[in-house]
Amino acid sequence: MITLTINEKEVTLDKPVSVLDAARQAGIKIPTLCWHEALKPYGGCRLCVVEVERMPRLQTACTLMAADGMVVKTESETISKVRRGILEFLLINHPLDCPYCDKAGECELQDLVNKYGPTVGRYKEEKRKVPESHKDQIFARNMERCVVCTRCVRMCNDQQGASAISIMGRGNHSRMEPFSSASFNCEYCGNCLTVCPVGAILSRLYIHSFRPWQVDKEVETICSYCGVGCSVVVQVRDESIKRVIPKIGLGLNKGLLCSRGRFGYEYINSQDRLTTPLVRKNGNLEQSTWSEALSIVADRLSDIKKSEGGKAIAGIASPRCSNEDNYVFQKFMRMTCGSNNIDSISRTGYAAAQKYFEQLLGQGITTNTIEGLKNSELILVVGGDPTAVNPVLGLSIREASRQGAEVVVLGNAKGLDRFMTQQVVPQVFGEAEVLEELLVAVSGAKGLRGEKMDVDSGIRMLSDKYSGKMDLDGFEKLKQSLLESSSTSIVFGTDLVQRSNGHRAIFAVAGLTYLLEARLYMLSDRPNEQGLIDVGCVPDMLPGGRPINIIDFKRKFETEWGGPIPDEAGKTLFEIIEGAKNKDIKALYVMGDNPVFNLPNGPHVIEALQSLEFLVVQDLFLSETARLADVVLPALGWTEKTGTYTNLERRIQLQKKAVNTSSGMEDWKIISEVSGKMGYKMSYSDSEDVMEEIARVSPLYRDLTYREISKGNSLWPYHGEPLRGEIHKLPVMVDSKGEYRADLYISLEKPLFHSGTLSRRSPALIKICPQPTLKINGTAAAKLGLNEGDMVRISTAAGSSEMPVSIDDTIKDNKVLMGNNFEGKGVFNLITYKLDPVTMAPGIEGCEVTIVKL
Amino acid sequence: MEKFLLRNIENPNSADISEYMKAGGYKNISKALALSPQDIMDEIKKSGLRGRGGAGFPTGMKWSFAKADPKFPKYLLCNADEGEPGTFKDRPILEKNPHLLIEGMVISGYVLGSEYGYIYLRGEYPAAADILNAAIKQAYEANYLGDNIGGKGVKFHLAVHQGAGAYICGEETALIESIEGKKGQPRNKPPFPVNVGAWSMPTIVNNVETLSNLPLIIEIGGEAYSNIGSKDCPGPKLYSISGHVKRPGVYELPMGTNLKDIIFTHAGGMRDGSKLKAVIPGGISTPVLPADAIDCAMDFVAMPRAGSMLGSGAIIVMDESVCMVKVAYRALKFFEHESCGKCVPCREGTDWLRKVLERIENGSGKEGDVELLSDIAGIMLGKTFCPLGDGAAGVVMGMIKHFRNEFEEHIKNGKCQ
Amino acid sequence: MFNETVLKEIEEIKARYPDRKSALLPSLYVAQREFGWLSQEAMECVSKALNVPEAMVRGTASFYSMYRHRPAGRHVIQLCTNVSCMILGAEKLVDFLETRYGVQPGGTSQDSRFSLVIMECIGACGTAPAMLVNTDFYDNLSEKRIEEILEKYK
Repeated sequence: MITLTINEKEVTLDKPVSVLDAARQAGIKIPTLCWHEALKPYGGCRLCVVEVERMPRLQTACTLMAADGMVVKTESETISKVRRGILEFLLINHPLDCPYCDKAGECELQDLVNKYGPTVGRYKEEKRKVPESHKDQIFARNMERCVVCTRCVRMCNDQQGASAISIMGRGNHSRMEPFSSASFNCEYCGNCLTVCPVGAILSRLYIHSFRPWQVDKEVETICSYCGVGCSVVVQVRDESIKRVIPKIGLGLNKGLLCSRGRFGYEYINSQDRLTTPLVRKNGNLEQSTWSEALSIVADRLSDIKKSEGGKAIAGIASPRCSNEDNYVFQKFMRMTCGSNNIDSISRTGYAAAQKYFEQLLGQGITTNTIEGLKNSELILVVGGDPTAVNPVLGLSIREASRQGAEVVVLGNAKGLDRFMTQQVVPQVFGEAEVLEELLVAVSGAKGLRGEKMDVDSGIRMLSDKYSGKMDLDGFEKLKQSLLESSSTSIVFGTDLVQRSNGHRAIFAVAGLTYLLEARLYMLSDRPNEQGLIDVGCVPDMLPGGRPINIIDFKRKFETEWGGPIPDEAGKTLFEIIEGAKNKDIKALYVMGDNPVFNLPNGPHVIEALQSLEFLVVQDLFLSETARLADVVLPALGWTEKTGTYTNLERRIQLQKKAVNTSSGMEDWKIISEVSGKMGYKMSYSDSEDVMEEIARVSPLYRDLTYREISKGNSLWPYHGEPLRGEIHKLPVMVDSKGEYRADLYISLEKPLFHSGTLSRRSPALIKICPQPTLKINGTAAAKLGLNEGDMVRISTAAGSSEMPVSIDDTIKDNKVLMGNNFEGKGVFNLITYKLDPVTMAPGIEGCEVTIVKL
Repeated sequence: MEKFLLRNIENPNSADISEYMKAGGYKNISKALALSPQDIMDEIKKSGLRGRGGAGFPTGMKWSFAKADPKFPKYLLCNADEGEPGTFKDRPILEKNPHLLIEGMVISGYVLGSEYGYIYLRGEYPAAADILNAAIKQAYEANYLGDNIGGKGVKFHLAVHQGAGAYICGEETALIESIEGKKGQPRNKPPFPVNVGAWSMPTIVNNVETLSNLPLIIEIGGEAYSNIGSKDCPGPKLYSISGHVKRPGVYELPMGTNLKDIIFTHAGGMRDGSKLKAVIPGGISTPVLPADAIDCAMDFVAMPRAGSMLGSGAIIVMDESVCMVKVAYRALKFFEHESCGKCVPCREGTDWLRKVLERIENGSGKEGDVELLSDIAGIMLGKTFCPLGDGAAGVVMGMIKHFRNEFEEHIKNGKCQ
Repeated sequence: MFNETVLKEIEEIKARYPDRKSALLPSLYVAQREFGWLSQEAMECVSKALNVPEAMVRGTASFYSMYRHRPAGRHVIQLCTNVSCMILGAEKLVDFLETRYGVQPGGTSQDSRFSLVIMECIGACGTAPAMLVNTDFYDNLSEKRIEEILEKYK
């Protein structure tokens, strides 16, 4: 215990903190400028000087540790004089352009001068002139206003880890550069904006469009982009979103955001939004009314159900929609349409892996929090770049690396380039084999645990085939590291699921997790991949992870919902697509997704959907899929409705309504209207009402209320009990080393600045990354005579596309990468797939590609 | 006094290892390795050696802090970033007697349990870099550096790290930042470098001259060493003297030699029969002394009493032809140029001071400018992050204190008398 | 790009330090030697060779006054004008260099023969005024002596 006196007030501390923090705890405010609660103390501005008894000179409160018996004074004539002097210094080169500066009203310098500053300045010489820079599309930079507090630099280096900002020059010639341009590693997280105390860095998304005091509504909600679920504050004026900002300390992101979260909100105001229902008449989609459109949907579905049975109807739910939307959707499919054919795009990765992990380990989701990741001794990253897929989770890995953890990447992970301590690059598409060898090696050294018989027997099976040795650079070192680490996390990206034998990698990762008692984190590109599984948008499970084939569970739901649920598990996503093509499926209801674009082999998906008798799509935009629909229903999106989302660490969070809008309806509401017309009444008054039902029927969400969720600490309970029972017969693991002899293979890139349908309608993200590029490493580019920016034709067996190349030396194998984000330019148009027999996820590996310079 | 630090430097080949050894060099390593590190530490404490970089911190005490820290490896950094204007005392050691420094560092490494040393050499001494690198190569060949020094299993590796023109890197934490490949901006203290220094490990930073005293302490023992020069801060001291004296140069004299004697006896007095006006006694960061205030002992204790500081012992002697406004202006131009920019008072204060001095020097000074200068310096003094800003403020305050009338005349008449 | 020999030299520099970042200052000297000044390309090369972010390379380089951020003449004169040199006439030498060789402080002569950098103390106060021409040191300067010295630098 430390007790000190600040301004004659006794302050007791439980742990050592700075005098500044001690004063804050006691409610005493000491002025600061370079200090920021998210950053380490710097001691540059000298405004926080205090008098300390028995210390000869003034001390900076931010850097001085509080000590027992210390007597501190934070205000005195001497101190005021110093603060006045320092502020006078800060203003000598300041342009004093507050009337024009967007920061006015929330400028720390303005506030400080107002309170402590001089009334007149004595500086007579010319001020430093630095022209304002609008070179960047996102940031406006004004170095005349900069006070060189270096908060942006420290944020960019120490928290974000992008290291894109530096002080150039020294002394009074110091200025911050460059904030932008990909060549300087700017990740456009905008976290520098959060910390800039003055108007030196401003966002051009809202420059000169409002004053901070004109915000009439501030809503704390969560981001709509990925499976992390960062907290944000939406600032609204006149029912339009002015700005999305983080709040220090709020949510699991603790005030950090990524480019998508901070700048990707404009899609919601896009001109392309659907405003009225559309109905296909004479082959064309025409504007219609809600009552007409809903009746058509209800009638057609009822007809098909009557003539073909519920099995002929299928539904695709959405990992972008809320738990409430998805819950109502699966209930509608099961109860109203009489079908268990419910799945989602998540089958291409997360849901597929989640199920197999759950079968093997008893749980298919991390048992830890994202924040806990940074306490690991060793982090093994496989199957994707966490800093691009789940950027804020990626920051935890960078933080761990800074704290001295080992970070080992198997394959490529561009965003960890400077943070990894080891990289092991397998032969192209050979990750599973490396993981299996590692598993055998680890089990050889540690033995089996005897807790999960099926996993043990699987490992034994592998041990017969493999030696636990490998002629691969870094393999032995990685093995040793894994054996020595006492606290290991495995971050698993879904790239390895998208293999025709993806279950091998999943088994190996499960085995390693089990033997090493590691923590497993599964990356998730969409905000509600876990939630949609939790509420039953999978063909074989009811809400709460209750298997449909366990009769007791089914009965319970039948009683609750008042009707029969079909017995058999339904079709998975790709079985639905095949079913449509074979005409086993006659009607498909797509809620909030775009399978034509988001599934590999787009032309094949189009063909399948065109074979349907009836396709209904509800979405924000007239997507590639919606264009094929018979009825299109406009839905509401982020900030327009309230609902809960469950992130990749099982945290259930509330996404709140912030603006009122005239068109569109909540997804759950549209469905309950259709359901009512089809004869199964759902009478929810609002989304909270839906949540009440979920909390009643789902053991995972038991007794949860919006009020409870709003506190931010609702992680669904983990009991380690298998929900579906363990598998009893391991599928034969394919023992093929793979023959990948081509020069180049094309693979999916998941870029930081885009996520697809939403991001491509966000002008800011388009400005940051305006067009698709083909990423190729320097060696391969040189062989083909390609330079940065050269246009190429990319051809595969499935199709071809044209775009510029971008050279990326973090690709260490013979893959070229292309994203699936831009309309007509998605890599999925060029890739065919083969389903993994175990996970039913699409294998997209081994796609040979020819690249020709145009 | 017999020369030790500058022994043999008249020999044109003094930097060569064979010449150094002919003059008795490197025998103190063998002598030291026969003693326990703790015994040597006791000798150092007994010697009363204080750091020669400017702060005068007791070397034995600093070392015992680093030794007490259980973390390994420990790093030994030699501060050869001699940048204080007026100072050129380390240069003869670096260029003429490099093996003395190497010998001192090997002994220091042995005492501290440090196996890695770096000489942070200012970029402005390219010749010294070549000489040091050649000397280090010779020392490796002679097994005075390496993994098994003198066959005693003692390990010490040494490399030269060249600075690139930043005065602030003479500050030890800035030096550490710079050796780590960053901008040379000072760090917060605590933690002190002896606990968390270079690469976050315990680190000792000592001046060239300090480390070069180690062989002497081994040679004659702490007791005998403590009898050289001032009682409170004993040992030989290198004074560099420049400006309007007959024989400028570096003088090895007992610590505490009288400033007046250094100027008028050792350096031969004023050149061309000119009259002494003022002396900057310890490098440009130390307050100026007028001609009548120079009868004082040049050491860490007596100089503050005389109203200035020993600093690096760099004496700049100015005769009556020198305009003090111009000197102040030039000094502030230096500080403004060298301010690292980390803290507000130094970054903005040096800029403002320079601008006001510039206008006075140019003849467009305004009434009240002297008060303005005092005010700006007053805000800076004691509030800057590191001593650089204090130095700048102290120079202006010293100049105004002793030569206020010159400033006022400048303002009134627009030029010097 | 750096050639193999230079990359090897940088690898040797890296080996002297416990981490790769510490090799930045010496590597910048290498880049300056190779390119004549720290061009954008030079700094990119250093950034790549050390895997240190470019912003850090540029920021660090800009802090130190001995790195050149503009192309220099064939010979770089670094003349001290700090107090000890100033009171012994260094400023007149600056004027002399300008009139005689057409080179201004911070600039390069039209014929690209000389660049002039005004230095803070180069540690030659006892033999002031003093200068470095490239890495060669000269002191006790006068106009006449400068003329003699610079004869050697064509």
